[in-house]
Amino acid sequence: MSPAQLPSRGDYFKQWRGGGGKVCAVFPAQYPKELLWAHGVLPMEVWDPPLAPARAQGHLQPYICSVVRQGLELLLAGGMDEVGAILFPHTCDSLQNLASLVADYLEPPAPSLFFYNPKAPFAAAAKGFYVSQLQALEDDLALIFGPAPEGAMEQALEWSRRLSELYARAYARRAAGELGVGAAEFYRLLRAGEYLHPQDYIPLLEAWLNEAPAQGGPQGQGILLSGVLPSPPDLMETLDGLDLRVVHDDLLSMSRRLLYPPPGKGGPLEALADCFLAMPPCSTRGSSLSERLEWLGGLAQSGGAQGVVFSVVKFCEPELFDLPELRRGLKEAGLPSLVLEVDVNQEVGGQAATRLEAFGEMLS
Amino acid sequence: MSLSAKARMQFMKDLGFPAMLSLAKATKGKRKPRKANPDFGPPLKCAARLKEIMTRHYYLSRFAPGARPVAWVTSGAPVELLRAFDFYTIYPENHGALCGAQKMGPELCVAAEEEGYSPDLCSYARVDLGHFFSGKTPAGKLPKPDLLFCSNNICQTVVYWYKVLAHRLNIPLVLFDTPFNYGEITEANIAYMKDQILEMIPVLEKAAGKAFNMERFMRLAELSKSTSQLWGQCLETMQTRPAPMTIFDAFVHLAPVVSLRGLPVAQDYYEILLAELTDRVERGIGAITNEKKRLMWDNIAVWYKVRDFSELFAARGMNFVAATYTNAWAETIKHLDMSHPWESLAKTYSLVILNNNLEHRLGLMEKMVREYAVDGLVVHSARSCKPYSLGQYDLKRLLSHRLGIPAVVIEADITDYRFFSEEQALTRLEAFFEALEAA
Ligand code: SF4
Ligand code: SF4
Repeated sequence: MSPAQLPSRGDYFKQWRGGGGKVCAVFPAQYPKELLWAHGVLPMEVWDPPLAPARAQGHLQPYICSVVRQGLELLLAGGMDEVGAILFPHTCDSLQNLASLVADYLEPPAPSLFFYNPKAPFAAAAKGFYVSQLQALEDDLALIFGPAPEGAMEQALEWSRRLSELYARAYARRAAGELGVGAAEFYRLLRAGEYLHPQDYIPLLEAWLNEAPAQGGPQGQGILLSGVLPSPPDLMETLDGLDLRVVHDDLLSMSRRLLYPPPGKGGPLEALADCFLAMPPCSTRGSSLSERLEWLGGLAQSGGAQGVVFSVVKFCEPELFDLPELRRGLKEAGLPSLVLEVDVNQEVGGQAATRLEAFGEMLS
Repeated sequence: MSLSAKARMQFMKDLGFPAMLSLAKATKGKRKPRKANPDFGPPLKCAARLKEIMTRHYYLSRFAPGARPVAWVTSGAPVELLRAFDFYTIYPENHGALCGAQKMGPELCVAAEEEGYSPDLCSYARVDLGHFFSGKTPAGKLPKPDLLFCSNNICQTVVYWYKVLAHRLNIPLVLFDTPFNYGEITEANIAYMKDQILEMIPVLEKAAGKAFNMERFMRLAELSKSTSQLWGQCLETMQTRPAPMTIFDAFVHLAPVVSLRGLPVAQDYYEILLAELTDRVERGIGAITNEKKRLMWDNIAVWYKVRDFSELFAARGMNFVAATYTNAWAETIKHLDMSHPWESLAKTYSLVILNNNLEHRLGLMEKMVREYAVDGLVVHSARSCKPYSLGQYDLKRLLSHRLGIPAVVIEADITDYRFFSEEQALTRLEAFFEALEAA
């Protein structure tokens, strides 16, 4: 299985819709995908649609991040006209207001669904509250898409468990230097989970993991990649081109929501609540800086990273606030770091490449 | 808490501060009074009292460590809980406004930026962190906190900001997590908030070193409620034509309800202010001499421009009579009901404007436009504040369309004037003035 064989988002969407499949557009970041699967709904995540900014500018100030901007652009450009619902998890102030802007002022093409993620430090009441959120979402999904068939939830949890295993395997192999592929290929494969149904995605991921070489790929200095998402795509190519080895990541769209203990065997909603509470520390969930530092240190150590590259989306408050203390703590632990401020879908450019190159040299 | 620190604080309260105040008054008496601006009515007499209260608050704060537990608190947090434990409370946002008004914003922001904080972050946070790193403040000195008390009912930003302080100071951060109301508030949300309050009490007991006293809490919560209600009544006097004060006054007179809510001094202050405003209403004294048009302000103040803006608008006979911002500390207090203290506290703090959807905000603004007979709307798009600002372009469009009133957006920041283009703002305002005068 090579990345070239992956269906594109557009093609997959058409094919899914052509077969009468139901779709829910989902804004970043953490949400209970299992509930959507159980209702036979395909979650299509909206992180960085490659569109030229045009319509969204009339609704958003220039100091709003490109993830929000691009997401709104997709909606206004008609990219969500065929979905059955739009889900807005509560991630940050900007996405919170975007959700309300869309639902209250912009007459969206489909009903809006909201999901509030409780914030850390989690009170004991957070679990029960999370379960109540799941229940409310479940009710909304049943209203829009019809009730989940018998056994569908169990099946969804099974897919989730399998995916957890595969993600964990992919990350572990990479960290151990036993996955001979660069960042561009790794993230292309993992990002396919943002739009492929697990029935289609699981076999592809399995095949890729079975066929991917143990050797090859970049051989240079090992780095840990932190930030929101592996975008813009040319950043990954730049890292590969500079022979920098991404040994682990702390990306909001990736390890922070993919690497957690799989759902347990108890009641499904409780199991999902446990998953949420066990997710790795994250700026958007309000995790403390000491927790994040400890986590980053562990990630760097597990893959032998010599430095950290923070690829931060411009205007992203949750990430930007954590940055100085994280950098300070990492430096004290002997891990130098580099910060790149990026706009999704805007090429990182030569200057960033030069800085990365100098950073790589400094690590050697 | 040490006995000597307590004694020292008491001494400063009873003798030190009054002596300092007398000295300041004596010096001030020799200064030449500022020339009256004919566009304004007589200034509010209780402005001097306000200054005294806030100066005292900041002055005494430096003697609080060791005498009382100190908490830094966000403007929307349920401070009534802290009052019950006798915490000395500092509001970094109020301090940020003070720094902004004194035009210290950029200097303090730069101090935070030198430590790696991006200029794109909320400038209240940057000012506070800048003060934290540099020690600079127009308030003399702020006491270090023993505890951080934060509610995300105004924004998530405060969580990120207070996390930094908690990490640097290695002190507890108590979060009151208030789920955003995308629609009506739900029972599940109320239950979650109530449970958090109950969980918080032992943490506060530990930090304060004393047991929670329900009776005292109820008494102080009532005091807080009446203070907010009085503040609301002060704002309502502006429904009269001519309005006895301007929103620019209200931005300043807001300080006690934000920072001293739940203390007798704040309630006393608003009784005096309300009496003065009522008297002005009865005597037909307006804040500006020739009130021709009445305006509404959306978002936080542009602190470094309060005086300039007030003069600019007053010169044209335009008075700001309403603002969503000043209204925020009065709007939801009606929900506080001591027969259901925890649920009602949760509702009071969850239903504030910034924790509610934009439809709610639009409805509120429509109501205010009607009640205050507003002729035009000025929308401050504040670069610092995403929860207040994202959605404003459409809000302006919809409100203007539905109510047929002119509206303008000015791009600025709350304290960091490096992000304010006077020229651009004035160009937009000139067009707005024309539209308003033609209406
Ligand atoms: S990039 Fe940051 S600010 Fe933008 S939507 Fe994501 S978390 Fe929010
Ligand atoms: S200005 Fe806005 S973002 Fe900053 S602390 Fe206040 S509410 Fe939060």
